[in-house]
Amino acid sequence: MTYPVNSNTPTLPRLAAPSGPSSNEPGAFSGALAGAIGEVEQSQQAAQTAVQAFLRDGQGDVHSVALATQRAELTLELFQQVRNKIVSAYQEIMKTQI
Amino acid sequence: MSLFSAIGVSASGMEAQRKRAELITENLANAETTRTPDGGPYRRKDAVFTTAPAGESFAGILEASGSPVLGVRVSDVTIDDRDPEKRYLPGHPDADPEGYVAFPRIDPATEMVDLLGASRGYQANVAAISAVKDMISKSIDLFR
Amino acid sequence: MQLNRAGLELGQYLSYLSVRQEVIAANIANADTPGYKTLDLEPPGDFLSSLVSAAAIVEAPGLASHNDGNNVSIDREARLLAENALRFNITAQVLRSQLRMLRSAIEEGRSA
Repeated sequence: MTYPVNSNTPTLPRLAAPSGPSSNEPGAFSGALAGAIGEVEQSQQAAQTAVQAFLRDGQGDVHSVALATQRAELTLELFQQVRNKIVSAYQEIMKTQI
Repeated sequence: MSLFSAIGVSASGMEAQRKRAELITENLANAETTRTPDGGPYRRKDAVFTTAPAGESFAGILEASGSPVLGVRVSDVTIDDRDPEKRYLPGHPDADPEGYVAFPRIDPATEMVDLLGASRGYQANVAAISAVKDMISKSIDLFR
Repeated sequence: MQLNRAGLELGQYLSYLSVRQEVIAANIANADTPGYKTLDLEPPGDFLSSLVSAAAIVEAPGLASHNDGNNVSIDREARLLAENALRFNITAQVLRSQLRMLRSAIEEGRSA
């Protein structure tokens, strides 16, 4: 049984294309990862600067240097945890596909 | 930086009070000295305190806060130039032709009170350093 | 990851208290300096504003002068010395706890 295609027949609304980080494009995720790496680098650099300024020029307080190094450690740790999760999730996926 | 500068400030306070105490003990020791190498009786010495930058970090303090926080130093030692106290002691080796001997104008009681003040000031600066050391120690704990 | 702002306000308060301790030390060192006027920092006010750079060094109000023009009250300075150090130590302790909690939260994800 065929039905005549009629231009007056309502059609399904077209789904809006997904945008943003939830996109299926491969670039979006690596972009987020790159951003995270950048933050780790930034906090490491800030800690380095704080320590050098303190030791060489006597600039800054002990607590400021401590905070900067703690922030660098925490940022790095968080990044490592996230990365480990991603790697193990990827490995899971690769196992199931086979 | 601020905390380490604070130690320098308190250290300058300690040194100034110590010098002040030294002068006072010299006054006490020479309260009856009628003959000095320069001739004449001993003359009372007094420390003059002035605010002054405490240590090399002054430039850092100046930049950081705009108006400097200052320590202290003994900028001068004033020597009593009043006429000495004359006592009538004709047989004394240092008596003048009229039989008067010139003595320093030093009252031991006044000097002792002054010495207590110097000691209290010294102690206060020691307490300040102790408090700051504790704060620095707590700051170092932040690394753990 | 906003970790690079972790402990910001507490850190700023610690800096404020450090500068104030230096001012108190200066008052104590100059307790016998003729003509010296007691200094202090402006009150910290709202935490979220730029705390340390806004706090200016001002003359402490309401203090009586001695004959030589000095108005340092050693009782006031002794009290503030202890109080200020205590505030600093408490704040540092709270900051430590904060950082420790952050670290726990991050490490907890490991076993999940």
